[in-house]
Formats: sequence, C-alpha cells, structure tokens
Amino acid sequence: MSTTTTAASSTTSTLAREFAAVLPDDCLITDEVGLRSYECDGLTGFRQVPAVVVLPRNTEEVAACVRVCARHGVPFVARGAGTGLSGGALPVADGVVISLQKLRRILEIDVENRRAVLEPGVFNLDISRAAGPHGLYYAPDPSSQQVCTIGGNVAENSGGAHCLKYGFTTNHVLEMEVVLADGSVVTLGAPTAEQAGPDLRGVFLGSEGTLGICTKVTVRLLRKPEAVRTVLADFPSVEAAGETVGAIVDAAIVPAAVEMMDSLAMEAAEAAVGAGYTVESPSALIIELDGPAEECDEQFAEITRICEEHGSTRIHVADSADERARVWKGRKAAFAAVGRISPDYIVQDGVVPRTRLAEVLSQIAEMGSEVGLRVANVFHAGDGNLHPLVLYSEAAGEHDAAEDLSSRIAELCVELGGSLSGEHGIGADKACSMGRQFTDDDMAVMQRVRTGFDPAGLCNPGKIFPTPRLCGERPGPFRPHPLEEAGVISRL
Amino acid sequence: MNTTPTSPASLTELRDAVRDTPGPVVATGAGTAADWGAPLVGEATPISVAGLSGVIAHNPGDMTVSVGAGTPLADLQEVLAASGQRVALDAARARRGATVGGLFATADAGPLALGFGTLRDLVIGVTTVLADGTVARSGGHVIKNVAGYDLAKLLHGAYGTFGVVAEIVLRLHPLPAATRTVALQVPDPAGVPAAGRAVTDTPVEAAALEWVDGRLLALLEGTEAGVEGRASRLVDLLGADAEVLATADADAAWEAHRDAVDVRPDDRAVLRVGVAPTRLGDLLGGLVADLGAAGVTAAPATGVATFTVPAEPVAVDAVHTRVADLGGTSTLRARPAGSAVPAWGPTPSSAVLLRSVAAAFDPDHRLGRGRLAPWLPVPEGASA
Repeated sequence: MSTTTTAASSTTSTLAREFAAVLPDDCLITDEVGLRSYECDGLTGFRQVPAVVVLPRNTEEVAACVRVCARHGVPFVARGAGTGLSGGALPVADGVVISLQKLRRILEIDVENRRAVLEPGVFNLDISRAAGPHGLYYAPDPSSQQVCTIGGNVAENSGGAHCLKYGFTTNHVLEMEVVLADGSVVTLGAPTAEQAGPDLRGVFLGSEGTLGICTKVTVRLLRKPEAVRTVLADFPSVEAAGETVGAIVDAAIVPAAVEMMDSLAMEAAEAAVGAGYTVESPSALIIELDGPAEECDEQFAEITRICEEHGSTRIHVADSADERARVWKGRKAAFAAVGRISPDYIVQDGVVPRTRLAEVLSQIAEMGSEVGLRVANVFHAGDGNLHPLVLYSEAAGEHDAAEDLSSRIAELCVELGGSLSGEHGIGADKACSMGRQFTDDDMAVMQRVRTGFDPAGLCNPGKIFPTPRLCGERPGPFRPHPLEEAGVISRL
Repeated sequence: MNTTPTSPASLTELRDAVRDTPGPVVATGAGTAADWGAPLVGEATPISVAGLSGVIAHNPGDMTVSVGAGTPLADLQEVLAASGQRVALDAARARRGATVGGLFATADAGPLALGFGTLRDLVIGVTTVLADGTVARSGGHVIKNVAGYDLAKLLHGAYGTFGVVAEIVLRLHPLPAATRTVALQVPDPAGVPAAGRAVTDTPVEAAALEWVDGRLLALLEGTEAGVEGRASRLVDLLGADAEVLATADADAAWEAHRDAVDVRPDDRAVLRVGVAPTRLGDLLGGLVADLGAAGVTAAPATGVATFTVPAEPVAVDAVHTRVADLGGTSTLRARPAGSAVPAWGPTPSSAVLLRSVAAAFDPDHRLGRGRLAPWLPVPEGASA
C-alpha cells in the first residue's frame, strides 16, 4: 500500500513541477484544503479529491496542461462552475482537474450576425445580459443560469424551461475551439448557420467532457420576442394539469415554456421566494407564450380557455415584467427550496413521452409511498422532462432507500419509452443505468467515437459509460469494448 | 459500379447485406443526390434502403415519428398532414422523391431552416448499420434527451460514410393554420443583405426569407388573423416596394425558388455555400462577374446561397477559396456526369477527427468510399 502511495505522490510532484513550468504560481493548487474544494460538483454524494487542480488562463495554457497530462498518461477532468447535477465534473483519483474559471471573457457580441463569441467560463445569464441592450438574448436557460457556465452547458447540452420552443444548447452553438486529449487544438463547426460535412460540433456537444475541452464557443443570439405572455394556472389534480398540456399541443400551439409543479414543490418554492403560488393547490402550470403580438394574444386567449375547460381553479396572468420574473423565480428556485421542507433530497432527471406523464407520475407516487418517502415534482411538462425530488433524512438513515427510489424512477422513464436524462447528463451518477437504455452494441459504437477523439481515454474517464469499477459487482449488461480487451484503449 | 442494387426489406437484411457484401458499398435511396459530394472511388456495390420505407411509429400527442430511412419525405408529409403535423423541412428535392435518409445524409435543407433548423436539429434518434454489421442506436423517441453520444450528428452530412442509416426518429411541428408571403423588390444582389436586415429587424418573425428572381420573399406562418396582421405590418415597415402575394402567386414564387436551387444543368456545377450574414454582400458582389455564377439565390438571415458555376475545376475551386476567405463553408451539390470538380473546400482542422473516428468505424473505408475526400482520404491499400 505504501508503495502505491509513494508512486502516486511521486507522480503528483512530477506533475506539479511540470504544471508550474507552464502556469503562474497562483494557477496551481496542490494543497489539501485547496484541492478539497474541487472534490465534487452539484452531485455532492460523489466525492473524490484530485491530485492537482490547474487554473489555466487561456487556450494555450489549457493545451499545455493537457500535454502534461498526456505525457504522463494522467486522466483529467474539465470543470466550469461545478453546478452539474450528475457528477460530470467529479475528479478522478490521482487525476487532474482543469478549471476553466479564469477563461471568463465575452470576446464579442456580434449584433448584426446575431452571435456571441465566449470563453467557456462565462456565466449563461451574462450572455443575455451583454446581448440585451441590442435587443438580443441567448435562448437556453437552465435554472442555474446565474451561476452555470457556457462551457458546462456545452459539455452537458443543457436545456432549460424554454427549450420546448427554442431547443437545447446543441441547437444554439455554431462553432467551438476544442483542446483534444493530446493537447492539440481544433475547431469544430463553423461560425455560420450552414456547415459542411459530418457535424462533429454536434457530436462534441453533450459529450460531458469525455471528448476534449472547449476553450471558446460561438453561439447564436435571438431577437427578443415582441410579446411575452405568462400565466400561472392552478389545477385540482396533476392529471388535469397533464391533460391541459395535451390539449394545448392538440390545439397546435407551441408555447415557449410549459412547467408543472405539484403541491410539495409549490410549498417549498413559496416558502423560499413567495412567488404567489397557491400552496393548497394539487398542481399548477406555468405557461409562457412569446412571439409577434397578434399571435401571442390570440393563442393566449385560447390557452386561457383550455385551462378553464380543464377545471383550472385559478388563473393568474403575470401582466408585468416584474410579475413574470416573480413567477419564474419560484420555479427556478424550486430545487434549492426543497431544502426548506426536507433535511435532504435528491434531484432526479428523466424524460417520458409527454403523453405518458400522468402514468409516470402516479407510478412515482406509488413507488414513493411503498418505501415511505415523499417525492416532489417540478418539471418541464411540455417535453416530458421530469425532475422528481426525492425527500429523505440522512439522519434517519433513509439515504440508501432514497438513492434506490431515485434510480428506479429514472429507469422507469426508460421503460416508458423515454430517457435516463433530459438535461442533467449521465455523468458518474447514471453510468450504471446506461444499459437500461442502450444495448452493448450501442455503447460500444459510442466508445468508438471516444476512441477516435481520445484513444488513451484520458478525458473525464468513468463518466457516461458503465465500468466494472464504477458499477461494482452488480450484474450489469456491460462488456468491455473489444479494443479494450485487446489493450488498445483503456478507461482508467 | 454494379448495377443491380441489393434491396433489403428489413433492418436485419440491411445489416447482413452491409456486413456480407465484399468490398466498398454505397447506400442508395431515391437517387436524387447520387452525384452530390465527391465521387465514389472504386467499384462500390449499391445497397438500397428504399425497402426500409414507411412510418414505424407516429405519436401525434408527442409530436414524434419514426420512419425507415428509405421513406420519401413527400410521402411522410402526406401521412403527417392528416394529423395536422409536418416535418419542418422543405428541401427542394423532396419533390423528386428524396428519402428522409438521403436528405439527412446529405444535410439538405430548404428555406424553413431559418425558422426550424435542419435535420441535424429535427432528428432525435437514429439507427445505423456499421461496415462490420454492428447495429447501433442513439437518441430515442423523446425530444429532450442527453443520454449517451449523439451519433445522429456524426451521420448528418456524412454522405453515407461512417454508417448506413436505417431508421430515423424525427420531432414534428404543427402545420401552420395560415401562411402569407411578403415580396420585396430587390433587383440588385448588393441590396440583399440590407433588405434582409430590414425584415429581421422587425418583430414579425419570418419562418423563411429567401432572395430569388430579384425579389426577397418572407414567409410568415401562424394563425389566420396573426399572419394577416404581421404581413400588413411588414409591408408598412418595408415601404412601397413590398406587397403581400396572393396565394397562387406565393405558391409560384416558392416553386420558382425550388426550381432555382434544385437545378441540374448539363454543363454547370451547383454549389451551396454559407457565410455569416454580414459577409453575404461580399460573397454576392462579383459572384456573377468574377466567378461566372448564375441562378443565384440567397437567404440573408442564414447567409446561405445556392448558385451554379461552369463545371470546371478552376471555377469550382475559386468558389471554395472565396467562401473560405469569407469564413464560410461550401459544398458541391450537383455536377454533370463525369466532371471532376472539387466537392469540398479547404480541409478543416477537425478533419484529423473525421479520420480517427472513421478508422474506428470503418477502417477499410467501405462505406461511401471517396465521398468526403480529401477531408477523409481513401487510405492507400484499402482492400477493394
């Protein structure tokens, strides 16, 4: 054991020496306390202290750091703000964390071409803030948009409430500068809508840091819509709210956002920010329309009628920008707010075909009561993206039961024809469930992509794909890739 | 080239055909873009996906549909229209029977790309057969999905390399209840960028915006009252040179656009290029005089232009160079049989990844061999 430790620390000191040669002193963290602040991301149940943390200031320094790692065969994990909820930025034992937090410049707001050129550490909301004075904004809006970075959004292909109408990060990124696992720098995509050849930009987007490190990104900006109409509608049951969403779709209306909350989630959000929700209501929808004024008004009237037809008990129109912000503040604060009604909680992320929402919600409620745990529901109803919050008490020894329930909910989504994740990613959290959604061949082919980008497997290993080490002795569907068996590639 | 295509009727048959056919293979559909991209190298056996045709599952409430790759888009649109839905893609060659798989493999798109993106944005799941017969699936039947790598993106615009696409899942949009087309006279191509901005600076949100035959066409989609109001607002904002077209005139104008981009001249090459909107003026200026271009159409909001030039290597190369100098991309669409003109522009830095991923997917380059050359060169000594 002591031999291993000595070998590891010797490698670490060699690494630190080589990093010091390419970075200034204040861009290198090797002390225990400093390292510990990087031991986890937003998925705090998974922790691993890295060997070294580096904070390069530009693409050249990122590339130099990656070359040091490549030279020593040491795995590295890129990290933005660390707000991810699937452990995508979980460090690797004896590995390096490459933090992008010093690359935080907005390089260009190109008003005429409606695009922005950004370093990866720019906060999502700051893009729209910078574009706002020009009448433009950046559409993907994850709930964490005040604190999450565009680099993290690129890695996770982040969504948000408005992706129902406007799409995800992948639909808004035109071009990226990427440092590959050998330290070389390539450009993926082009700064234009039209692109030629296979879409490698799209392959990289959402690859959770396993194919390289994005050091610069060009995104599309949209013109702010002329009109925005937001309504908060209470319903006597979750089913009634679900049917309302179906009726809106049937009416050929594509709202900018349709969010659903149940009473537990509203109770928590109300306690936290006082958004004006009716906490006694079993469920509520936030429906937002945007676009040209004529259309918005006409469809808004239609939506109000549909809500009434489906028994809405209260329709509150947010008729000012302030009021709209208040309604959304409650929704966006809902995850954290759950801390007010439960000592501990797990945020789940799964997707079902929208038409199966009622079915999945009643099954989740049943599964919760079977094990005696409460589940709060906040979700993007328009696209079937659920965020069940499993409430539990660590002190009462409920952790394992909660983890188990949460995993079973994600797997239930797959059984109903959906997906393990709509926006939080697979990361370390759900790698062991991937076999529920994909066959061995599916995953082996994904690994071939990985091999093409990162033959040595140094970029964020242990994420997305199940490994025997990660998934323990649990009998799982995973088999090693043939190239791995042949020793051509390895995961760690 | 062998003339009798293998025509598998199922995914299993397709898998076996791809795996068991010796030597290079080329996937075919309706044959509407057989001469797009770089020419095939060597004697490739055609394997048709036309037998994998039709809707596999349409879920109107979820606004998704899965289809065989050999399904003609026009046929699919007809099926979907019965539910008031559509694939928001209007590539011109769909009228010649182009299949969903073929449109996807060639990254084709039409004017609606402004409002809805291209198939890269609309495809949410894909099933593909690799050269060694491995069948892989990515994405799924839900629009929002970040589980695993998005293999569909690798196959979009890959011209049948990397894998033969067997099945595709698409997200759908409602058919608009009403449309209007506003036409603005813009006789000089130099005026196109400014005219485009005049439209996009208004809040009317055009679903398509194309310049063809000396007019800028703005397509508005929405409710009857909505498009009526938006169209008259747009005309007011644009001034005396703008008018709302009558339905028949609007249909004719858009058909003329399709005629312009879906052209197959005997002695000229067709190119589709894209630049940033502000560079479109630089591209269009002198296109005719310097490069001998004809049949120019342009989309000022996306920066996409389609035109023909003489089917000579020097002329086509000059287009690639000019577009690359403007920071854009260019692709050869149609070319006369037997003409050897460069299909692709300067090799991008990312070609190193195309090559390494291809080595993992199809080491002998059996699928669509030569289509992406020189970005993806045919390896020396590849088994025939």
